[in-house]
Amino acid sequence: MASHGIPRVSGGTPDKSEQAREKEQKQIEQYKALEKSVVERVRSKDYSNDTFQATSQLLTQNPEYYTIWNYRRLLLQDVFAKEQDRKEQPETKDIEAAEKEGLTPPQREISLLIKEDLQFLVPLLKQYPKCYWIWNHRSWLLGTATRLLPPRNSSELWQSELGLVSKMLSLDSRNFHGWGYRREVVAEIERLSASSMVEKEFGYTTKMIQTNLSNFSAWHYRSQLIPRLLSERQADSEARRAFSDAEFELITKALYTDPYDQSLWFYHGYLMSTLNPANAQAPPILDPCTNAERLHYLEQEIENVKDMLDGAEDCKYIYQSLLELSERYLEVEAGNKVVISQEMMAWLIELRKIDPLRVGRWRDLEVKLKF
Amino acid sequence: MDTLDKTEWDVIIAGTGLLQSLLALSLSRSGKQILHLDHNTYYGGHEAALSLSEAEEWAEKHAGDPPAGARSCFAQASVTKTAEGDANGSKLGFSRAYSLALAPQLIYARSNLLPALVSSRTHNQLDFQAVGSWFVVNGATEEGGQPRILRVPSGREDVFGDDSLDLRAKRSLMKFMRFVASYDEESEEARWAEIKNMALGHALRSKFGLNSDAAITPLLALALVEGNSADLTVEFTVPRIARHFRSIGMFGPGFSAVLPKWGGLAEIAQVACRACAVGGGVYVLGKGIRTATASADAKYEVELSDGEVVTTTWLTGCPDDLPSAAPPSTTSSPSKTQIVNRAIYIISSSLDSLFPPTSEGGPVPAGAVVRVDTGTAGGEAVNVLAHSSDSGECPSGQCVLYTSSMGSKESQDNAIQYLIRSVNEQPEPHVPWKLQYQQYISYPFDAEAATTSNIICLPPLSADIVLGDEVLDAVQHVWQQTTGVPADSFMKFVARGEESVEEQDTM
Repeated sequence: MASHGIPRVSGGTPDKSEQAREKEQKQIEQYKALEKSVVERVRSKDYSNDTFQATSQLLTQNPEYYTIWNYRRLLLQDVFAKEQDRKEQPETKDIEAAEKEGLTPPQREISLLIKEDLQFLVPLLKQYPKCYWIWNHRSWLLGTATRLLPPRNSSELWQSELGLVSKMLSLDSRNFHGWGYRREVVAEIERLSASSMVEKEFGYTTKMIQTNLSNFSAWHYRSQLIPRLLSERQADSEARRAFSDAEFELITKALYTDPYDQSLWFYHGYLMSTLNPANAQAPPILDPCTNAERLHYLEQEIENVKDMLDGAEDCKYIYQSLLELSERYLEVEAGNKVVISQEMMAWLIELRKIDPLRVGRWRDLEVKLKF
Repeated sequence: MDTLDKTEWDVIIAGTGLLQSLLALSLSRSGKQILHLDHNTYYGGHEAALSLSEAEEWAEKHAGDPPAGARSCFAQASVTKTAEGDANGSKLGFSRAYSLALAPQLIYARSNLLPALVSSRTHNQLDFQAVGSWFVVNGATEEGGQPRILRVPSGREDVFGDDSLDLRAKRSLMKFMRFVASYDEESEEARWAEIKNMALGHALRSKFGLNSDAAITPLLALALVEGNSADLTVEFTVPRIARHFRSIGMFGPGFSAVLPKWGGLAEIAQVACRACAVGGGVYVLGKGIRTATASADAKYEVELSDGEVVTTTWLTGCPDDLPSAAPPSTTSSPSKTQIVNRAIYIISSSLDSLFPPTSEGGPVPAGAVVRVDTGTAGGEAVNVLAHSSDSGECPSGQCVLYTSSMGSKESQDNAIQYLIRSVNEQPEPHVPWKLQYQQYISYPFDAEAATTSNIICLPPLSADIVLGDEVLDAVQHVWQQTTGVPADSFMKFVARGEESVEEQDTM
C-alpha cells in the first residue's frame, strides 16, 4: 500500500537482487526438470545415449548425487553387455583399428567408452577433489577394464591413474582420498605386472615428506610400507638395525625442525610401537626384537626427547611423549635407572599448564601413572 | 578518426608504463572518454620488454648523459657483445626470440597487485610463473678458488632438508622464522620492542642462538638488501624477510613470488591497456605531449607532439611523459637524484641448477634469486634475478640475468662471473650479450606537489627489486581523484560475458 502517494520502493532502477533471484529460480527449474527426466528414463529402462548425456549434465551440476552415478553405471553396464553380445560383423576399419591395439572390436569399443568416461571425470575431480563418488566411479571404471580387457591394456589405464593421482597429490598432498586411491592403484599395478613397487612407493613418501613435513598421510603410508620393504630387501638383523636407526634419525631431524607438528610425533610413536611385541598393529622392524633392544631404544629416545625441551619448553607434545616413553620404560624395566617419578610429575604439571582445556585427561593420566 | 585535433576527452593518460596502464585498467569500465598516448612506438614505456634489436636501438637512444631537468630517466646505456665465432661460440638467437624486461621486478604472492588483477578480470590473460629458489654465492674465496653457491632455506621443509645445519641450528633458525612470521602481532610486542634497534647479526646470536656468520647471509638474501650485516637493524630487515615467509606456499608449495611470462611488468601493462581499449579507450603510439594550458571551465588545452590540440578534464602520466611545466613543481622540497646501475646479461647456458622444482610434482620455476657476495672491502652484495627460457624472455638453452644495484658496473660484472663459476658447468658458460645502463630517479616524490588542479603526476616506478604495494596504492589515489567513486569498487569488475547476459534479460 503506497502511503500518502510515495511508492514503497524508491527510484525506477530495477532491484538487482530481484533479477538475481529470478535467474536462480530459472536454474532451479532447469535442474529439477533434468533430474525428473533422468529418473523417469531410467525407471522406464530407457538406457539410450540421450539418457546417458542427461546424466552427464546432471552430474556436472551435482556430482554428490550418488544415485545418478549408480544410474550411469547401469547404463554403461548395459552398453558393455550389448557390445559383447553384438552379432553383426564389424566394419573392416574397426577390425583393423582393434587389431592394432591387440583387442577384439567389442573390446576396443569398451576401451574407448571407458577412456571417454575417465576423461569426463577429470575436470569434475579437479573441482571436487574430495567427492567420494567421483573417486568411486573411477575405481569402478578401472575395475571393469580389468575384468573385460586383456591385462596389457588395463595395465596402461592403471599406469595413467598413477600419473593422475600423483598430480592430484601434488596439488593437495593431504587429501586422504588421493592417498587411499593411490594404494588401490599401486596394488592393482603390482598384481597385473606381478612385480613389487614397494621401493618406489617408499621413495615417494620420502619426497612428499620433503615437500611438506606435516603430512599425516605420507607418514602413515610410509609406516605401512616398511614391513614389506624390509622383507623384500631380505634384510638381516644388521640391516634392520641400520634401517631402524636411520628412521629414528630422520624423525629426530624433523622433530628438531618442528616439534609443534603432531604428525611427526605420531610417526615417532609408530617407531616406538614397533618395539612392543604386544602391539599387533605394528610389526617389528628389528629381528630379533628383544627386551634389551627395547630398553636401549627407550633410554635413547627418552634422552633424545628430553634434549628437545631446550628451546621448546612450551611444546606439549614433548611432555606427552616423555610421559608415554617413561610409562613404557617402567613396564619393561621397573628398576628405574633412567626415569625418576619426580621428573614425571614435573612434566605432568607442565602439561596441565600448557593445555588447561584437557585437565580431565591429565587427571586420568595421573591416576594411570599411579602418582 | 583521422586526426585528434579539436577532440574532447575526460582523461588523457600520457605514457603506457605500468602505473599509467594500471590506471587505464581501473578506468576501463567508468564510461569516461579516455585517450591514452605514448611518445614511443611501443607499449610499456620504462617497463617495456624489448627484443634484441629493440634493446640495441633503445641503448643507442639512451647512450648519453641524462637530459637536463629530467626527473626519471635512463642514461649511459651500452650493449656489449662477445665476438661472433669466438672459442665459446654460443650463438645468439634471432632478435624476436628475446623479450628482455626493463622491469623484471619480483612480485610476492601477497602483493596487492595480484588480487586486483583477479577482481579486474585480467589475470587469465597473464601467465604467472614461480620464482622458486633463492641462493647465496660466496665470491670471496682464496686465490683462484671456486666460488660456492648455496641454496637458502626459505621454509620449514628447506630447513629440514639442509644438511649443513645441525639439529640445534635447525631449531634456532625455525625459532627465528616463527618470530618473523608474527613480528608485528601483539604476542611479539615485547620482544619486538626489545630487539628492533639491534643489529641483525647481534640479535640472531644473542636472542636466537644462531651462529650469525653462517645464518646471516641467507637471511639477508631473503631480505633483498644490498649492504652487509653490520649496520642493518632488525627493524629494517625483519619486515622484508617476513614478506617472503608470508608469501611462501600461497600459490603452491615452496615458492613465494611470481613473474609474468614474456617480459616482466611489460606484459601486465599490455594486458591493462588492452582492457581499457575494449572499454572504449583510444590508443595512440608515437605521440607525446608538448604543452598543457588551463582553459575555460576548468579544462586543459593539450598540444600534442605533432601540433594537434585536444581538450581534457584530467591529464595524468609519469614525470617524464608530462610536459616540463607540469608538476611536480621544481620549487617543491629539494630533490636528490638516485643513480642505480642496471644490467641485463644473456647467458650461453640455461643454468638449470638454478631452477629446481620446489616440490614433488610441482611446477618448474622460471625465476630464481641469487645474492652474490663480491667480497670487496665495502662488503657489497649484488642481487641477481635469474629468468629461465621458460619465461619466454630468451630461447631455450640460454637464460637471462638481471642486476640492479647502487654498486659499480664492474661489481655487477664480477658478480655475474662469480655466479657462472659457482654453478660449475663444463664448458663454462659465458655472456654473449649484455646491456648496461643507469636509471636516474629524483626523490622524494611529493604526491601533494604532484597535483595541480586536474593535472596529476604518477610516481615513477622505483628501482627496488620488489614490486611494492605502494605502486597500486598510487594508482588508486589517482583513480579516486578522477572518479570520486567509493574506494571499495577499485579494480572490481564483472566479467564481460556476464554483463551482456543480464542486459539481454532486461530487454
